[in-house]
Amino acid sequence: MLTVFNIQRFCLHDGGGVRTNIFFKGCPLRCLWCNNPESIDPFPSILFDSRLCLKFGDCIRNSGGLIRPDGDSLVIDRENITCFDALRDICPSKAMTVAGEKMSINSIISEIEKDLPFYEMSGGGVTLSGGEPFAQNGELIELLAELKKRNIHTAVETSLHVPWENIDRCLGLVDVFLADLKHTDPEKFAFFTGGNAGLVIENFRNLDAGGAEFAVRVPVIPDFNFSEPELRSIIDFASGLKNSGEIHFIPFHSLAKEKYLFLGKDYVFGSARNVEKSELAPYVQYAELKGLTAKIMN
Amino acid sequence: MTTVAESPVITLRIAGLKEKILSSGSTICTERARIYTEVYREHEDTPVILKRAYALERTLKEMTIFIDDGELIVGNQSSALRAAPIFPEYVTAWIIKELDEFDKRPGDAFFVAEEQKKELRELCLYWEGKTLIERGYSLMSPLNREIHDAGIIRAEGNLTSGDAHIAVNLEKILAIGLQGYLYEIEMAETKLQEADGEYISKSNFYTALKTGIRSFQSFIERYERLASDLSFHAPGPERKSELVKISACCRNIKNNPPSGFYEALQLTWFVQLVLQIESNGHSVSLGRMDQYLLKFYQEDKAAGTITTDFALELLENTWLKLLSVNKIRSWSHTRFSAGGPLYQNVTIGGQTTDGRDAVNELSFLILDSVGRMKLTQPNLSVRFHKNISPEFLGCCIDVIGKGFGMPAFNNDEIVIPSLIGLGVAKEDAYNYSAIGCIEIAVPGKWGYRCTGMSFLNFMRVFLAAMNNGHDTMSGKTFFPGTGQFEDFAGFGELMSAWKQQVSLYTKASVEIDTAADLAIEELVPDILCSAFVDDCISRGKTIKEGGSVYDFISGLQVGIANLGNSMAAIKKLVFEENRISRAELMKYLRNNFEGQEGERIRQILLNFAPKYGNDDDYVDQLLVEAYMCYIDELEKYHTTRFGRGPVGCAYYAGTSSISSNVPSGSVVPATPDGRKAFTPVAEGCSPTSGTDTLGPTAVFKSVSKLPTGLILGGVLLNQKLSPSSLSNETQKQKLISILRTFFASLKGWHVQYNIVSRETLLDAKKNPENHRDLVVRVAGYSAFFTTLSPDTQDDIIARTEQSL
Repeated sequence: MLTVFNIQRFCLHDGGGVRTNIFFKGCPLRCLWCNNPESIDPFPSILFDSRLCLKFGDCIRNSGGLIRPDGDSLVIDRENITCFDALRDICPSKAMTVAGEKMSINSIISEIEKDLPFYEMSGGGVTLSGGEPFAQNGELIELLAELKKRNIHTAVETSLHVPWENIDRCLGLVDVFLADLKHTDPEKFAFFTGGNAGLVIENFRNLDAGGAEFAVRVPVIPDFNFSEPELRSIIDFASGLKNSGEIHFIPFHSLAKEKYLFLGKDYVFGSARNVEKSELAPYVQYAELKGLTAKIMN
Repeated sequence: MTTVAESPVITLRIAGLKEKILSSGSTICTERARIYTEVYREHEDTPVILKRAYALERTLKEMTIFIDDGELIVGNQSSALRAAPIFPEYVTAWIIKELDEFDKRPGDAFFVAEEQKKELRELCLYWEGKTLIERGYSLMSPLNREIHDAGIIRAEGNLTSGDAHIAVNLEKILAIGLQGYLYEIEMAETKLQEADGEYISKSNFYTALKTGIRSFQSFIERYERLASDLSFHAPGPERKSELVKISACCRNIKNNPPSGFYEALQLTWFVQLVLQIESNGHSVSLGRMDQYLLKFYQEDKAAGTITTDFALELLENTWLKLLSVNKIRSWSHTRFSAGGPLYQNVTIGGQTTDGRDAVNELSFLILDSVGRMKLTQPNLSVRFHKNISPEFLGCCIDVIGKGFGMPAFNNDEIVIPSLIGLGVAKEDAYNYSAIGCIEIAVPGKWGYRCTGMSFLNFMRVFLAAMNNGHDTMSGKTFFPGTGQFEDFAGFGELMSAWKQQVSLYTKASVEIDTAADLAIEELVPDILCSAFVDDCISRGKTIKEGGSVYDFISGLQVGIANLGNSMAAIKKLVFEENRISRAELMKYLRNNFEGQEGERIRQILLNFAPKYGNDDDYVDQLLVEAYMCYIDELEKYHTTRFGRGPVGCAYYAGTSSISSNVPSGSVVPATPDGRKAFTPVAEGCSPTSGTDTLGPTAVFKSVSKLPTGLILGGVLLNQKLSPSSLSNETQKQKLISILRTFFASLKGWHVQYNIVSRETLLDAKKNPENHRDLVVRVAGYSAFFTTLSPDTQDDIIARTEQSL
């Protein structure tokens, strides 16, 4: 079983053609700007959208005292709730939802196969995303093998922040890696993501040496890496890899603000400014100068 | 192959004509009503076919005609631009009743002068007891009349309008000319034997046809003279030469086949016009214009007598002519056809009869001209097939990107094999065209109403199935049911109850259609329309008597998505999960989900049962099973033409239910899909607004699971895209790729697009004066948004917006 929190069909931006994105739950990093905060914990997360709450009280009655009314809102004891399945489909108006469920390889495949004719016509396929797909258990390789068997194009969006063997064993089964390079400076990387830049860098080198097809993805985040020296350093690293063809800039936006609210989490980037596509033009130019094909993603 | 206009914008002439028509409010014209009344009065004892021939003759002879400044294509429907003629022989009751309300309607208002009201009231006195609607109602059994009046089956539009939903044989008209038709009629007449039992009726029919054609010729001759007269007072030499040319054109085409593109287009318009004057049908369609006009265009091009820009100007002038046709409907019927549509369809693209891509330079020109005008008419349809020119498809997407809902697509890959399966000859099947909204027929060979028979309100029937046959809205039990939902032991019993009820109502709908058809055949036979449809002349029969080569019809089933969603909600939540009890469900359906607990149940119904449009087999297959109950029953029945000549004379299903989802919903109590009482039901075959949450590929998958080969009356799918969806070339290519998948792989039937932002729609509702020219796709047709009633405006605003 793999832990999935969303399957999104008709995705057009992560890999070629029409794609289905599988979002896996659980991530080794804690990026402060994360766009999918519900993806971070490996166990289920409770999201509560008070605007949809019609005060039926089903969640309160089924929470064993861990959810209590509080004026117009709810107090949710997220630390101690374990009865996720009891809460999953409890709210009639879906003001409360539970993100993350165990899915078998077969049930994931059958969702993926629904759009087969669209992949064929458009040159699309599947994108595994997250969270961190390579942080899933060993069954991930089985899923990839099944997809390969069916001749479905696979892309994996990854932080590369996992032990190399997790990636290594999947190498021949992934058609393209969309690998994040968030920063080259270890200290800044550690402060903003809780992770180890060295591991990412090393895995990039391994990926490159293994001859895999990959694109370098750069989330452009204000106060983190959105400065000339920092972005140049990232681009320089990317262009130094012998197999890297594309670099994708992903400008920051604060659309995730509401999800943090639903999760009861603080969002330090909630009031950060959005990065405009036009601001990235010089970096596109620089990357192309360095021999990369640069794209700005939506 | 693209023929690019040298000038990217319309000419000043066309802009002026467009402005004039857009600023003309709807009025009415009493000339036709006056003349028809006079003639009927004078010929009380004459057979109806002749009475109508004489009335048509006098109308074409005496009605006001005019040529507006700058017009290149001439011919008007009534005494003023956008003045709707009145057709008293069809119905007068609502005219009298609503006369003082025409200008106060919330949508589609008409202005009527006091003296016109007075005249109409007087004219209507004559028609009391003689109109089509009275005859039609009298032919319905008392039970069917009650079902009709209860709003479960509606056939009002069939008895207040001409039949139409037809394309005549324009290819032949342009080939042999009007004189050619006269010869053909005379030839057929010589074969009559006086001792033949049908001699008198056939002889009268031929006399009527000849009268009709001759009066059509005289009508054209009136324009010949008018243009000539006007040329003497023309404001300058340029206009003078234009008027001389118009006159010469009319002089030729009143008798002969047209020579050249200009004449061919003018004759095409005249044919369209007289058909609109003769009967008041909607969906009089022009068929495959890029095919039958091509020869003329190519000859002119080769001879160097026409420029691309002039051809565009002529086409654009023709579209304005189509827009000038107006029609007034009763208020109750207007709600089914919001926005005053005439559904004059033009079809382009598709394949030639030998299976090659039929896209040609004229296809591009027609597409381009319609895109430049952004009007509600014509209703432009493109026939998709897997080898369609990619360049042309790209241009179609560009026009769709302009946001006025056109072109819509029909798919050869499903339509042609289905037609052949029905017994349509291969070369005819390959020559089909869209009619009206999205429905299809073989132009010039098919009878009326390939769709457009009665509306069947599926959800009223479904609720009756849950209530042991009792219809709570009318308080009547039209057909005793199989039991009360509270007592059903399993889901199977509900499906059986539905099957039992829908079969009975299907039979009733056919009986109601038959009453309407019989009344139309007897009281309002069409003369010119019959002349121009094969094989009426050789058979000596009107279309309604069985004159056409093919005759297949369909009604409209309303509430498709609601039916599937209701079935799925009950199966899953009541019978499988026991989350809602049978008694609870019935209680809250009856009280419209009253109170906190009612809303709780409603939310569960909305959120915890699969919804059609998300590629979920659970609900999609239930919908197929439920819909097949209707389709299987329908196959048992025939039309009134059965055994009288045409191939077919049978029914198929249809969902091209125009804007009826709003008024149909307004008479349906709460339904098990979580829909509140009296709110709109889903339109066409589209998912219920807001429930298709997985994007367009999932919608396409769901829709293509329906038995589309059996729904030849149209599988109507509306999709709304955000304007940013087509903002660049990559986005455009993606849309093309999913369209190709939908049509080529999934054998989808039809799709049409609205690409207007929600903000624009909201603003247009609030400030109509700033958005007079905003055209939106309603359902199978486009309409000026600001002419729609607030209910229909809201329904369009609520549709799920997909983004790419």
